[in-house]
Amino acid sequence: MKKYIYCMKGIVYKELIRFLKQQSRFFSALVRPLLWLFIFSVGFKTALGLAIIPPYETYITYETYIVPGLVGMVLLFNGMQSSLTMIFDREMGSMKILLTSYINRNYLLFCKMFATAIVSTLQAITFLIIAILYGVDISYGAIILTIPVIIVSSIILNAFALFISSVIKQLENFATVMNFVIFPMFFLSSALYPLWKIKDSSLLLFNISSYNPFTYIVEAIRFSLYGKFELEIFLILGISFVISLIMAFVGFKSKKVSHS
Amino acid sequence: MKKNILEVNHIDFSYGKKRVLNNISLSIKEGTFSVLLGLNGAGKSTIFSLITRLQNLVVGEITINNFPIKDYSNALKDIGIVFQEPTLDLDLTVKQNLYYYGALKGLDFKQTILTIADEIKKLELEEHLDTQVRKLNGGHRRRVEILRALINKPKLLLLDEPTVGLDLKSRFDILEYVRDLVKTKNISVLWITHLFDEVEQNDDITVIKAGEIVDAGIVKDIVNKYKQENLVETFNYLVR
Repeated sequence: MKKYIYCMKGIVYKELIRFLKQQSRFFSALVRPLLWLFIFSVGFKTALGLAIIPPYETYITYETYIVPGLVGMVLLFNGMQSSLTMIFDREMGSMKILLTSYINRNYLLFCKMFATAIVSTLQAITFLIIAILYGVDISYGAIILTIPVIIVSSIILNAFALFISSVIKQLENFATVMNFVIFPMFFLSSALYPLWKIKDSSLLLFNISSYNPFTYIVEAIRFSLYGKFELEIFLILGISFVISLIMAFVGFKSKKVSHS
Repeated sequence: MKKNILEVNHIDFSYGKKRVLNNISLSIKEGTFSVLLGLNGAGKSTIFSLITRLQNLVVGEITINNFPIKDYSNALKDIGIVFQEPTLDLDLTVKQNLYYYGALKGLDFKQTILTIADEIKKLELEEHLDTQVRKLNGGHRRRVEILRALINKPKLLLLDEPTVGLDLKSRFDILEYVRDLVKTKNISVLWITHLFDEVEQNDDITVIKAGEIVDAGIVKDIVNKYKQENLVETFNYLVR
């Protein structure tokens, strides 16, 4: 049992050191959601009227509505970036060290995804603190309550990204991933507008958004930040967690190492 | 009689439709320095990938220390690996890289440094422990990779072209150090190379050509067998 704990500790340790040494990556990951919060939401809120929808019990500002989606955005981009790195590393170097360990490979991959989730969580918390300072109505206590949800959500997205980048050969640069995976996943969710708004315009898009796991990630973060619990959402989050991990393990196993 | 620490039996392997290994069998005896010699593209690194489980074995059998490779939790437990390409994290210090690798071998930070304390001195890496790997030269990076491979006190050390890209002195320093590990610690070594000057008369050698084993045995015996002057001529004779 000890070896598994040391293994997890070592992988998280390495990711945290890399995170601390790559401060520019940390700040650039924050710039994206902050631009949406500071600029996009200002322009968009006048065009979008929000009704009172769960978990909110009163009218909220658009900035408050958009924050959980932007936390999801941080996790989504980080997950994609790190999973692509894992695939490239498998062919080029440091992942080989991981893969030749005598410890169960699926456990190692889980540790790697967990370590990435810790880094993503630190970024998400930083973003949430800036959002509070900007005037968004969130309490610091709610952020602490949301941390487990953020970690689980991040692992789901990391696992999903690992699966996608394992099985689709064409996904060899981040721009392609942005266009074909990240943006559709982000826009076809409740990150920027409630699903009933989408339903008013297009039933098809509403149905697609309803089956998008990212929608439930955003909603789980939203409910947690508001100190509410909705069984259905957290149940779907749990199921997504299990399915995405299985997909990641199977996908990674099927990915061939190129001949060096 | 020494027992085999590594046995590779009748393995085939293909990349898609391209067959790269054909009925490969070889064995490494305990406490010996063995060499897998072949030209670039002969299939050496593919054999290495199969032994280390980077590629999945489909046809044939590999056992390490009597454990089949499919039982990887036992088979890979007592091996040390040095890859052909650099695998150190450049952003981390030497010590941090060692900690990380130790963790992957199920060791805590203290144990990791304790198990290799003597080797750190022998490899003259004490003053570099807190240096970022990015700031080390190629020779020192290679030494760190060898040091790292010793963290779990391996019984079998696998090195895939470990001296490629190094100057002559660094190459032979590393070679001498690894040969010394065989003598002093009874570690078995599989040294994969295409460089003839790294092979000695008493080494156990396996010659591979285009995915097939051409011959295997003690170097001087093979040279005599084919009535050649030296290893280079024998190799040319075998792979012509």
